[in-house]
Amino acid sequence: MKKSDVVPALLILALSAAIAFDTRGLSFWADTTPGPAFMPVWLAIAGVVLGVLRLLEARRSSAPVEWPDRAALLRVALVLGGLVAVPVLSPLLGLVASLALFVGFLLLAVLRQALWPSLATLAITVGVVYGIFVGWLNVPLPKGMLGI
Amino acid sequence: MEALQLLGQGFATCFTPLNLSFIVIGVLIGQIIGALPGIGPSAGMALLLPLTYGVPPATAIMMLAGIMYGGMYGGTLTSVLVNVPGEAASVMTAVDGHQMARKGRAGAALSISAIGSFLAGVAAVIAVVFITPPLAAFALKFNAPEYFLLALLGITASASLGTSSPSKALMAALLGLMIAMVGVDPIEGTQRLIFGQPALLEGIDFLPVAIGIFGIGEVLASLERAQAAQPMRTRLRDMWLTAQEWAQSRYAIVRGGLVGFVVGVMPGAGPTIAAMLAYVTERRFSPHPERFGHGAIDGVAASESANNAAAHGACVPMLALGIPGSASTAVLLAALILHGIRPGPGLMTEQATLVWGLIASMFIGNVVLLILNLPLAPLFAALLRVRYAYLAPGILAISLVGAYASTLGFTNVWISLAFGVVGWFMIKLDFPRAPLVLALVLAPLLESSLRQSLLLSFGSLMIFVERPLAAALLACVAISLVYPLLKLRRKVG
Repeated sequence: MKKSDVVPALLILALSAAIAFDTRGLSFWADTTPGPAFMPVWLAIAGVVLGVLRLLEARRSSAPVEWPDRAALLRVALVLGGLVAVPVLSPLLGLVASLALFVGFLLLAVLRQALWPSLATLAITVGVVYGIFVGWLNVPLPKGMLGI
Repeated sequence: MEALQLLGQGFATCFTPLNLSFIVIGVLIGQIIGALPGIGPSAGMALLLPLTYGVPPATAIMMLAGIMYGGMYGGTLTSVLVNVPGEAASVMTAVDGHQMARKGRAGAALSISAIGSFLAGVAAVIAVVFITPPLAAFALKFNAPEYFLLALLGITASASLGTSSPSKALMAALLGLMIAMVGVDPIEGTQRLIFGQPALLEGIDFLPVAIGIFGIGEVLASLERAQAAQPMRTRLRDMWLTAQEWAQSRYAIVRGGLVGFVVGVMPGAGPTIAAMLAYVTERRFSPHPERFGHGAIDGVAASESANNAAAHGACVPMLALGIPGSASTAVLLAALILHGIRPGPGLMTEQATLVWGLIASMFIGNVVLLILNLPLAPLFAALLRVRYAYLAPGILAISLVGAYASTLGFTNVWISLAFGVVGWFMIKLDFPRAPLVLALVLAPLLESSLRQSLLLSFGSLMIFVERPLAAALLACVAISLVYPLLKLRRKVG
C-alpha cells in the first residue's frame, strides 16, 4: 500500500471522527423528526465505511502517482506562499497593490520570465482587475496606506 | 406549440444589446478558456461568477452557459494542434485530431469539430426545448422523498459513471456533503460543525470552494510543468473538407450527438464521458476500426459532437428538476441561487423569461461559435502561442479578488486558498473534483428533503419504497452503487 492511497483514507476517517465528536451534543432525533445531528452522523458513518473500503481497495491495487520533482514542488510552494501573502498584506498595502506585488513576484522570481513582457502582464492584470471590480462592479476593494 | 411560442419570447429576450453582447462575451471566453490547457469551463465559470453580480440574472446565466459550451469548442484547438486536451472533454479529440494534424490535415480536424459541435449542439438545444417542459411538469408531482432520491442519484451517479475509481469519487462526494454541513442547521437553526470558529457560522459558500478546487488547484498543477509545447500551424485554406472526409463524418456526427445528449441528460455523467462513449461507439460502427488512433476523422467528429451535445443535454435535469448533470451545470445552478433564483420544477413557469432566454441564447451562441471556429480558427490557434506563465498570474489574481468580492471579506479568500491546496492534491491523487462540487450544491436539497420525508412518514423508511416514483428512483440509486462494485470486481478478478 502506498502513502498516496492510505493518507486520503485516513483523512476521511479522521474527518468522520471529528464530525461525530463535534455533533455529540446535538440531537439526532427530536420527537418525530430527525435533528441537526442526523445527517452529519450518517455522513460520518458513510465516511468510516468508505475509508475502510478505500484501504481495502488500495491493498489490492495501487495506481502510480506522478509527484512533481523538487524544482516543481518548490515552484508550487512559492506560488502558494505568494498567494497567502496577498490577504496578509492587503490590509497594509491594499488589495490591488498586494496583487501587483504577487504578480511581479510570480513572473520574475518564480517563473523567471523576461522583464518587459512581465511588466506588461503585470500592468494588464492589475488594469483588468481594477477596471472590472472597481470601475464596473463598484466593489470596494480594501485600500492600504497607498490609497489604492 | 407552446414551447415554440415561449422560445420565440426567449429570442426576444436575447435580442437586446446587453444580452447579445454578454452571449458573445460568454462564448468568446469559453472558446479561449477551452483552448488554454490548465483551466476548464467549470473553473472559468466559477472564476467569472462574481463578475455577473452587476448584471440581471438572465444575462448572467446566458454568459455563464456560453462559457460552458464555448469551452467544448475551444478545447479542440489544443487537442488537435498541441496534442494536449484544452479541457477534459476533448481528450478523445487529441487521439485522432493530432494524428490528422501530423498528416497535414489539422484544418480538416478543426473544421469537422466545429461543424459537428454546431450540428449536435443545435440538435441538442432543440431536444432541450421539447424535453424540458414536460419533464418539469412531470416533476411537479415529486414530493420530498423523490427529491431526496433524485439528489442522492445525482451524487451516486457522478461517482459510478466517472472515469476515476468509484471509491475515490464517492469520497470526493462525501467531502462535499461534509463541507455543506458546516454552519447552522437549516431547520432548527442550531450551530453545527463550526469547531469553535465564528467565521464558519455562515457556512462554507459554494463559490470559494469552486474557485479553489477548480481555479487555484488547476493553476498550481499546471505551473508544475514547463509549458514548452509549440502548437502546429494551420491556415484558412486548409479548413476545407474533402467529399470523402464529409462522407466519413456525417453519420458519426449524428451518432455522437445522440450518445452525447443521452449521456448529458443522465445526472452525474458529463461531456468527458459522453466523448469517450461516442468515440468507442463510433469505432464499433466503423467499417475500418483500425484507422482509429491513427487520424480517423469520424473519431474526431463523434467525440466533438458528443461533448457539445452533452454540455447542452446536462441543462435538461438542471432546468427541469434543479439537479445538475455535470460540474459546469452545478456552477450554473449555484449562479441561479446566488442571483436569488430558486431552482426546481417551478423554474420553468416562475422564471420563464430567464429559462427560455437561456435556451434561445444557446442557439445564438452556437452560431457565434461556428463563426469563431471556422473562419477564425487560425486566429485562435495563434493564441496558443501565448505562454501559460503570462496567463497564470491573471487567473490567480481574478480568483482571489472574485473570492473577496463575493462577501467583501477575507474569509472566503482563505477558504479559496485552502481548497486550492485540496484541489491540487485531488489532481495529484486522481480524485475527481466534480462529485465534490455536485455534492456541495445538492447537499441542502438532500438534507431538507430527507428530513421532510422522515417527518412525513413518522420516521419510517418505507416512504422511499411505497411511493412508485420513489421506488423507481431508489432502484436507480441502488444500481448506481452496485455498478461500480461490479466494475471493481471485474477489474480485480
